[in-house]
Amino acid sequence: MIEGFKSVAAWARGGAAAIIAASVLLGGCATHDTGAAEVWDPLETPNRFIFSINRAVDLIAIRPMAVVYKQWVPEPAQRGLHNILENLGEPLTAINEVVQGNPGRAGTTLGRFLVNSTIGVVGIFDVASSMGMPKTNEDMGKTIGYYAGVEPENGGFYVVLPLIGPSNARDGVGLAIDAAADPFNIVTFAISNDVGWIAAAARYGATVIDTRSRTLFALDDLEKNSVDYYAALKSAYTQQRADQIRRKREKTDAHGELERRDKLALVP
Amino acid sequence: MPLLAHRRVVLRLAVGAVAGFAALRAGAADSPAATLIENVAAQVIELIKTKKGAELETGIRQVLETSFDLSYMGRQALATHWKETNEEQRQRFLAAVVSSEAHAYADRFSQYGGQTLSVGRVVPRPNGVSLVESKLNQSNGQPINIEWEVRDTGQGLRISDVKIEGVSMVMTRRSDFNSYISGHGGQVDALINELEARAKH
Repeated sequence: MIEGFKSVAAWARGGAAAIIAASVLLGGCATHDTGAAEVWDPLETPNRFIFSINRAVDLIAIRPMAVVYKQWVPEPAQRGLHNILENLGEPLTAINEVVQGNPGRAGTTLGRFLVNSTIGVVGIFDVASSMGMPKTNEDMGKTIGYYAGVEPENGGFYVVLPLIGPSNARDGVGLAIDAAADPFNIVTFAISNDVGWIAAAARYGATVIDTRSRTLFALDDLEKNSVDYYAALKSAYTQQRADQIRRKREKTDAHGELERRDKLALVP
Repeated sequence: MPLLAHRRVVLRLAVGAVAGFAALRAGAADSPAATLIENVAAQVIELIKTKKGAELETGIRQVLETSFDLSYMGRQALATHWKETNEEQRQRFLAAVVSSEAHAYADRFSQYGGQTLSVGRVVPRPNGVSLVESKLNQSNGQPINIEWEVRDTGQGLRISDVKIEGVSMVMTRRSDFNSYISGHGGQVDALINELEARAKH
């Protein structure tokens, strides 16, 4: 069991290094703005291969578990687990908010973490929201996008990650940095390597079930109503990440997207 | 290895698609663009409450045909391939898209759970397009941002795109369709045939 986690660990470290190396290599070439039209996807063939493996794993294992979870686990328990997972992510969100130059908001996020971890019973209840501390979600992909001087539709090359799904150079590098900087990992790995990997695996497993149970309808819908599911998901992912980054840059709205589209002259 | 921070993205996307544009009339805005959205929402709610199955699909098709600028949306979705099509292909393409969208929406609305739509700001843009911001309120969970693009077609205001949590319906179809066409030797006919086949069931 532990041996298994160790090999996963080695693989994950190698994978993260490979992503960073690849993005550094390709980042230099990413001067053409892929935000202008279709998503830049030079790895389409391997991406489609990983995508089909992910779908197979989803079909035989993850989706059925998510269906059972959604149908049979009482709703308050589902909400509790979701809140615990969100709470574990708060310190990382706070770090990103500091890097984004918003220490005030990072303070609120840490306040949420302290309140929900104690009064909220290890995060089961989100009492901080009702105390005037609304929830935010930040990650390094958004932070990089916030500072990068390109259209946020341009996240570098698109990549489908095994067991994670749609990503791109920007968000993949962000994931690796987030994993390294996450206080949750730092604390659990400080206890021992085994504790660190077991905690990370448990959190990953819970997150997969929680997330998949919440995306059942949407992903079924997107799959059913597209002629090329891979392309539709690539587009939806890219647009949504771009929208989140634009909202950060423009604070109040994200209408820059429309200006971008005006320039595209979509209608011949 | 908590690499799933990004799953939250898909999660919000998910909730968005569940909602579709199931909506209720709420809040009164003076802008004609906002009124259009409120009317469409009210019509759809009425349909969901009174119609089922094929009748619901027919009703939704009528809403699409009267309130949406379908030919504009179709042209956007086909992008550069539009120029390669003849009149007959365009008619077939648009008819197939309307059928599949009506079918998809009827399917989504069969799971309607009493959500309400509150129409917010209307942002006019220099090119004559208005953006109507709205929130879909759910009984559990965060409200979902839905943005409507409304343009004047000369025959009145029509909806030309719907963006759910930043994901544009037209742009997603555009990537979907273009990728399908590229994967089938650049033949628009392949796409039209596929859409027609799907519309039948």
